[in-house]
Amino acid sequence: MAQPGTIPFDVAQGEVSVLMFLVAGRQFAVELARVQHILDYQAPTKTPRRPPFVEGIMQHKGRFLSVVSLRKRLGVEGPAPVHPAILLLTDITQDSVVGLMVDQVLRVLSLPLEKMLTPPPRMLGIRAEFIRGVANAGERPVVWLDEAKLLTSDEPIALLA
Amino acid sequence: MERLTLTKQRTRARVEGPAVREKFLLFRVGDEIYGMGLRGLREVLLPDGLTALPTPAYQVCAAFTCRGRRLPVIRMRALFEDSPADIPVTARVLLTQGQGRAIGLLVDEVLEMAEVDPARIAPVPALATLLDATSFRGLYTRQDRIILLVNEDGLARLDEVAQFYAAGS
Repeated sequence: MAQPGTIPFDVAQGEVSVLMFLVAGRQFAVELARVQHILDYQAPTKTPRRPPFVEGIMQHKGRFLSVVSLRKRLGVEGPAPVHPAILLLTDITQDSVVGLMVDQVLRVLSLPLEKMLTPPPRMLGIRAEFIRGVANAGERPVVWLDEAKLLTSDEPIALLA
Repeated sequence: MERLTLTKQRTRARVEGPAVREKFLLFRVGDEIYGMGLRGLREVLLPDGLTALPTPAYQVCAAFTCRGRRLPVIRMRALFEDSPADIPVTARVLLTQGQGRAIGLLVDEVLEMAEVDPARIAPVPALATLLDATSFRGLYTRQDRIILLVNEDGLARLDEVAQFYAAGS
């Protein structure tokens, strides 16, 4: 797994592997090197006075971790999918592992860095600060999120419908 | 630091015996189960004699009269869930000590005692709650259920508790 501040091997080779997924019908991605596991949804234990986008905590292989709803973090309202997935991400916050709930996992793909577009100041309602890059996948844009900034910032986000 | 050989480690383990398990009182707040160490626990009482304190100064604390003495009681449902729920008939006040002061915790229901190996207590993930980290001793699993353990000393550091004592209530 990548350590904070290091450049993953594939990035040094001019491309980056990302895990692509859906939230509210939009295509997003996180760096594959940060994804430790993909789990089926299990209801987290509710924690007291949790941040609005935190669902609670769960245990995985003896470790306790917070579970964050990306739908809630992106300000998406309406019913969540029946079978969301939980991505276990490492080295994101001061917790060693964080669970990120997404609507549906799509696929892994390699994105050539030279084809990666710099995001506009705001894309789908998300400020560029929270985006590492934008690319095309299947003739639709995929937004490569800066998961660390997304989970450590309090700034509200309202994903455009 | 002394480096132990394997033989010395085994000998020491035999002398020390199994790990000392800590006792916790398990209680319910809302739908979740929490635990509190027995070290400071003095009494478990019915919430008779509980009176409201003036808002907005007091959002989570109430006053409790016990044998002529007024004590601050943290309404755990208000602290944990920001909920002004009614007090259920199963509710109890746990009288304990925190920071050398007497405090009460108003919980929805007292459940049972549990013995926990301290090595099984893990820290609460930082993202999991907005409450001060000192409010919790940690968490552990019991029959596949995650149980948060409160820390009386951390709870006694709440501004409202300090305010209660500073006012000489």
